Amino acid sequence: MNGAINFTYGFSHGVEWGWPIAVYLLLAGISGGALIVALLVRFYKKQHEDTPLLKAASLVSFVTIAFGMVFLVGDLEKPLYFWKILIHYNFTSVMSIGVMAISIYIPLTLIMCLYLFEKEISVVLAKKSQLVSYFAMIMAILTKIRPFIEVLSVIFAVIICAYTGFLISVLVRFPILNTAILPALFVVSGLSAGTASASMVASYWFKEDTHSSDLKTLHVIEWPIMAVEIMLIGMLFVSLLVGNEFQQTTTVAFKSGVFANLFWFGVMGIGFGLPLVLNFVLGKKIASTHLAFYLSGLASVVGVLCLRMFIIYAGQTFGV
Amino acid sequence: MENDGKRRAFLKVLGLGSVSLGGAGYTLLAQTTVEPSKAKPHYGMIFDQNKCVGCTSCEVACGKVNAVPEGQVRLYVENKTDPETPMEKRYVRVSCQQCEDAPCVAVCPSQACHRDGKTGIVTMNPDDCIACKYCIVACPYDVRFINEKTKAAENCNFCLNTNLAKGKEPGCVEACKYKALVFGDLNDENSYINQILHVKDSVRMKPTYGTKPSLRYIPIVKAGV
Repeated sequence: MNGAINFTYGFSHGVEWGWPIAVYLLLAGISGGALIVALLVRFYKKQHEDTPLLKAASLVSFVTIAFGMVFLVGDLEKPLYFWKILIHYNFTSVMSIGVMAISIYIPLTLIMCLYLFEKEISVVLAKKSQLVSYFAMIMAILTKIRPFIEVLSVIFAVIICAYTGFLISVLVRFPILNTAILPALFVVSGLSAGTASASMVASYWFKEDTHSSDLKTLHVIEWPIMAVEIMLIGMLFVSLLVGNEFQQTTTVAFKSGVFANLFWFGVMGIGFGLPLVLNFVLGKKIASTHLAFYLSGLASVVGVLCLRMFIIYAGQTFGV
Repeated sequence: MENDGKRRAFLKVLGLGSVSLGGAGYTLLAQTTVEPSKAKPHYGMIFDQNKCVGCTSCEVACGKVNAVPEGQVRLYVENKTDPETPMEKRYVRVSCQQCEDAPCVAVCPSQACHRDGKTGIVTMNPDDCIACKYCIVACPYDVRFINEKTKAAENCNFCLNTNLAKGKEPGCVEACKYKALVFGDLNDENSYINQILHVKDSVRMKPTYGTKPSLRYIPIVKAGV
């Protein structure tokens, strides 16, 4: 008798969470991904000096998460009331948990920037001798806990990437979103976009040689990350294909229409195809040029943006 | 020495006895004071499709009573008549299902969307709402919206702050000329809504989500030829 009555009318206007949220999800992914990759390289190689890669990653993670906040708050209908979220907590809300994580994570990225840009900041502050001494005092304390801060940063970077997935995977109305794979996919695609962003910034602003040891390491791990990403997207598709009638109807998003174009040209073509062609198909000469380095990096980031856009828009379009 | 031990034991018994007796007396007292107060209400509503003619009086009344901005609704009557059988009209009430396990309350980051302490009705505190729209996308029934005037998310709360506060039935129930809507306390065994539910088959919308809606629908079931 349960099928005897139902309604299909809804009070929302289709996609309630639009492109600002997709951009925020990308920025949070880049921020977390860049910091995770750079710090893991540091731990793995037991580095003690401040590498250009870590400099770039710290700067990228702080700037992207800060910009992410702009998009996040900007998407509210009452942006000036965003502080209400900081004084009322709800522990069953992923958004509330995320806000808590963010309010720890942003200071962590800021402290990471302080470590990596201590000299630069001192030079700027040198004009006001008083400030320099305060700064030196703070840094003396912070430097003592640096190993602890670094480990904590990795943990919170993972939490930030994963929470953005859980944030929308709890939306039971939307089969594409309401999957267990989404948080994993967001962590992995965040790593991919973060790796690309950190290596581009390291090379462009911090004059890291594109063939240096660190960037070579990133260049090597880039491909397994991409493979896992493709695998997770494949799993998402299969889980919808073999799911219930509502899940099956959402597979149209991959097959035809504007979402399919976004997916196949944006995510697959630009995100995965272009870097693969630039690095493996056109020969070693082209693969080792600066143009190929920046182009495939940008393609990775754009691909992840397309993935977030696809998930957000197609996800909310196909509701139960 | 021997005497001392006995005295100590006596004092112990005396002490323990008075504590336990006093405690027991206190619990008895507490029980007698608690018993007369009634269990918390659980407000529910029945929509009887057999009686609804689709006149939308409920929609109009709802908008008026709750000052819903024009073009927006808390309650909508959807025409679900099968085009194959246009003479067999089928209307369905679209509104907040007042879930016992409400996803909107669970996801609200500022606790603006909450369960009213006294009545247990899922309602909204517009002042605390930051309009993040999380509740709107989290609702399995898609029956929440941002009020254009207050810029806060909103849902049908059985006229909690309007008619119910004045001791009246919700606006839609008052307005229905065909008695297609019944409102009442599901926790009260003698309430009219429970009497109906005892004798009629009713369903909940999308029960597989496990949200336990408080709205019950009595569908038109055509039996025989």
